[in-house]
Amino acid sequence: MTKRYVMVHDENKCIGCQACNVACRSENSTPDAVTRIQVRIEGPHGHYPDLHFKYHRVSCQQCENAPCVEVCPTGAAYVGDDGIISINKDKCVGCQYCIAACPYKVRFINPETRVPDKCDFCKHSRLAEGKQPACVSVCPTDALTFGDANDPSSDVAQLLDTRIHFQDKAHLGTKPRVYRIPGKRGGINQ
Amino acid sequence: MNNIWGSMEQYDPVVWNWMIAVYLFMAGLSAGSVMVAIGLRWYKRSRGLPVEGLPVIKASAIIGPAAICAGMALLVFDLTKPFDFYLILLNYNLTSVMAWGVLVLLLYIPLMFVYFALVFQQVLLERVPALTGLINVLRVIEQPLLKLMFVLAIGVAIYTGFLLSAMISYPILNTAVLPALFLASALSMGSASNILLATLAFNKSDSDCIEQVHRIEYPVAFNEALCLVLLFVGLNFSGPAAQAATAAISSGVWAQVFWFGVVGLGLAVPVLASTLAPVAWRHSKAFLIGVSSCTILGVLALRHFVVYAGQMYIS
Ligand code: SF4
Ligand code: SF4
Repeated sequence: MTKRYVMVHDENKCIGCQACNVACRSENSTPDAVTRIQVRIEGPHGHYPDLHFKYHRVSCQQCENAPCVEVCPTGAAYVGDDGIISINKDKCVGCQYCIAACPYKVRFINPETRVPDKCDFCKHSRLAEGKQPACVSVCPTDALTFGDANDPSSDVAQLLDTRIHFQDKAHLGTKPRVYRIPGKRGGINQ
Repeated sequence: MNNIWGSMEQYDPVVWNWMIAVYLFMAGLSAGSVMVAIGLRWYKRSRGLPVEGLPVIKASAIIGPAAICAGMALLVFDLTKPFDFYLILLNYNLTSVMAWGVLVLLLYIPLMFVYFALVFQQVLLERVPALTGLINVLRVIEQPLLKLMFVLAIGVAIYTGFLLSAMISYPILNTAVLPALFLASALSMGSASNILLATLAFNKSDSDCIEQVHRIEYPVAFNEALCLVLLFVGLNFSGPAAQAATAAISSGVWAQVFWFGVVGLGLAVPVLASTLAPVAWRHSKAFLIGVSSCTILGVLALRHFVVYAGQMYIS
């Protein structure tokens, strides 16, 4: 059966420490000015003294219906056999159509290569070695779970079967592969 | 206060800038000018009137190739890898509107030079007599070529609209009226620019066709206005994010560009001037130059408004 890599972000466990952000930066040698993931701490919400924050992970959603791939004129933005959306540097002209078309605004021009860049679940480095993406490995609270959702025994499949979850901007029909488990106190904030 | 997750600079939703807006303007200018001139040629021919040497047609033969080439230069300049632009000529992803645009332009741009050569045959052959054979061949197939150019010009004007409307997360852009709006505004700036250049550079007494071109401006302006109304009325009924985007015409600097530039300069001034101005003025050079300049500036404002305000609101 084909793989369907997904990531689940449990917003109850997340503490917004940015360890994932830093680990990603070091794993992927991301230039200082840009970033592949951020966990935005939104809030405070609620009424004093019952205040709380929400933790919103911003990174490529690995859409199954990826607008960035659809609009790319040269096919430089492409879906790999494993379903992961990547960028072929050698075909890209830098028109930035994909950056404009991504509803999650997670693509950026890498100042060193002049080519768009974004999260690819560490496809070429850690995933190729059979390891988990850097952000997942480093998370101190295990807020991130990664794996093949087509395998019913995987951690992600079990989480998605048992916990209430949502996807960002689901109404756009992009079918994101990053799932979120909403914080107990917070409503769903897309 | 700094946030701990890092710089937000790369998350600016405005990705395409004024260079794209000016490119969209130039592409529309070229396509509109050629459509109007070929249309006029067919109109004249169907009435048995002569079409050679008309100032408006001469104007379009200059605007057509010049505007699209200037636009292309801007487009290439705006790429992050301008020296790799040839890659877009070798690889085609046919789900992408941009790839279709490249295919259309690949035919359209050389044909613009053919168009120029056919209109300015005399001048050209005086300088480069070696082209005589080629031009004679082109003359034979002139009629089908003109039809092809007309269709491609519609393609160029419309694809620029689809280019923006394919971006699903921008409510102002992701609408079906955008291509129609771009077509209507391309026609209005096309006729205005033909009149402007014909009045400035070519002898007006050659013919009265400037007046005929001028006449199509009313229905075109009406269609343009209708598309704008449809666009914003449509947004109002398309959910909260789209509704929020209607703020584009009620607040901020782009609302001013919209009301003063697009509606004022581009639509109200030309229509009012042509209906209210005394008949004696209407044929004067200054009047034609003034009114056509307003129309053209209005469409330039429209392209900027659509590109900037369109990207500022995201659903
Ligand atoms: S989140 Fe953006 S960059 Fe990632 S697959 Fe979806 S559209 Fe493409
Ligand atoms: S910037 Fe590169 S990857 Fe993105 S759409 Fe253009 S050619 Fe494709």
